[in-house]
Amino acid sequence: MVVNPREAPTPTIAGDVAPLAQGTAGAPLRQSNLWRDAWGRYVRNRAAVAAGAAFVLLLLFCVIWPFVSPYDGNKLDFSLKNEGPSLSHPFGTDNFGRDMMTRTAEGGRVSIGIGFAATIAILLAGVAYGAISGFVGGRLDNAMMRVLDTLYGLPYLPFAIIILAIFGDANFWTMVVALSVVSWFTTARIVRGQIITLKENDYVRAARAVGARWYRILGRHLLPNTLGVLIIAIFLELPGVILGEAFLSFIGLGIGAPDASWGQMANDGRTAYRTSPHIIAVPSIAIATLILSANFIADGLRDALDPRTRET
Amino acid sequence: MTTFIVRRLFWTIPVILLVILMTFGMMRQIKGNPFRTSERAIPAEIQANLERKYGLNDPWYVQYAKYVKGVATFDLGPSLVLRNRDVNDIVREHFPRSLELGGLAFLFAFVFGIAVGTLSALKANTVFDYGAMFISNVGYAVPSFLVATLLIYFLALQWDLGFPTSGWTTPESKILPVVALGLGPMAAFARLVRGTMLETMQQDYIRTAKAKGLRWRRVVGLHVLRNSLIPVVTAAGPTLGFLITGSFVIEQIFAIPGIGRYYVTAVTSRDYSVVMGLTVLLSIIVILANLFVDVLYGILDPRTRDIRT
Repeated sequence: MVVNPREAPTPTIAGDVAPLAQGTAGAPLRQSNLWRDAWGRYVRNRAAVAAGAAFVLLLLFCVIWPFVSPYDGNKLDFSLKNEGPSLSHPFGTDNFGRDMMTRTAEGGRVSIGIGFAATIAILLAGVAYGAISGFVGGRLDNAMMRVLDTLYGLPYLPFAIIILAIFGDANFWTMVVALSVVSWFTTARIVRGQIITLKENDYVRAARAVGARWYRILGRHLLPNTLGVLIIAIFLELPGVILGEAFLSFIGLGIGAPDASWGQMANDGRTAYRTSPHIIAVPSIAIATLILSANFIADGLRDALDPRTRET
Repeated sequence: MTTFIVRRLFWTIPVILLVILMTFGMMRQIKGNPFRTSERAIPAEIQANLERKYGLNDPWYVQYAKYVKGVATFDLGPSLVLRNRDVNDIVREHFPRSLELGGLAFLFAFVFGIAVGTLSALKANTVFDYGAMFISNVGYAVPSFLVATLLIYFLALQWDLGFPTSGWTTPESKILPVVALGLGPMAAFARLVRGTMLETMQQDYIRTAKAKGLRWRRVVGLHVLRNSLIPVVTAAGPTLGFLITGSFVIEQIFAIPGIGRYYVTAVTSRDYSVVMGLTVLLSIIVILANLFVDVLYGILDPRTRDIRT
């Protein structure tokens, strides 16, 4: 678990007392670098590379396609209602005659945008809470963990629905808030665990011994070393948030028409699934592709960043 | 062991109180009032009377105390919108369906997930393993509304196998919703069991058991399975809670009048007391599921008794 990217080449005390000396002292030696090693391990994992490629391609499709597409994703054309996939409309058209391919790309922007924004919020909240709890320790830690236990008792979807009801309106940002408020607990726990483990390391004791202030220990020694875990956490949280948004939209509590997320599109296809199942299938497959690739990326990153816990 | 269970039980009470307080606090933030809907103009006196009747003018801590007392005596109060109904009536009418759906889906996920995961681990790196893991990975990623739609589209409509497309009455009508809801957790269990079993099989005590000449089947049954199931039990608690409280989507698709569907209606009609009551009920279920698993965990793995209180 304990990764130590920054301090590895230099003895810990020197790193603290004379940060300027870094880099010059060991210059002739090409030190092995954690991130380079991790990258090397990652690219050797074929499933992870394929998942990474799929993820990037999906992102590029969502970002670029709306500019290139000959169709407007919100333009209604009732003469083309509910058409299956064809050459001119590779994903078919929906119940308003809108081009599904363009709409999937535009919906992806919304879904993935909400996903990333909420994931960043989750990481920020998780790091802040987990770092304080783990770093201060003692009674405060205990109390903060009890509060977290309580929050785990709140059911996910109802809780998110209540928060949306408090805002009174579901739009991009209220969705981000609702989804991150109900999902930051796990990251907070992971960060706390990391900080507690790292705190016991010799280089942290050494830093403390030479009189480093708490914010320096936290900012220079502890938080940078949680970076690996946080990068993995991005790909663990993203699927959950995107799925949560899809569920809320699907039961009719998502962001309003005509802008669509993938969940909203799936909801559009719900009524017509008997005759045109592609309307619900296309956005669902997009969600599944994203979640599947994110899962494999997370597995690959875990193996790459922490070879000791490599799965068999 | 008894002290562990008792301590764990006692700790549940403040958690429930805190959850009620949080829900209570959030509900008070929601704007709007069921009695002040624009369609119905109500004279000010009646308005005041109504608010007094439902205790909406009391300070928040009085309301909270009354509410906690109500929960403790299994009385969740009256509905604010449906004048002649209690939240208890609504729970009694809609909740058993959700409970049954969630419980059956959990059973499905648990039994098949462990079976598939075990077989995959025992036949690691064979065609069966690859096939099962491929299906599990996909099943884990595909949203339940697509699973449900595909099941209805192919099994009920295209191939006409006699499954109804909606409702929750006959045993046949329950199969598709249960599978649709349970598939994702089943895949998750299968992946988890496979991973932990492969890890366990590399442990020294397994090698020892094999070296003693124990039959492989016995080694698996006695040592591998037992030790691999601990992480599965940990995952089972949140999963059970999630399945009972999270069948919103499936209830919507199959038109099952369960708690999830009613919840959405109550939120949109601003029926505070119903939303509040249902949220508290669902929270208590999640908390009890977690409690159950913690106790089970303490029985399976004695080392955790002191830490996890």
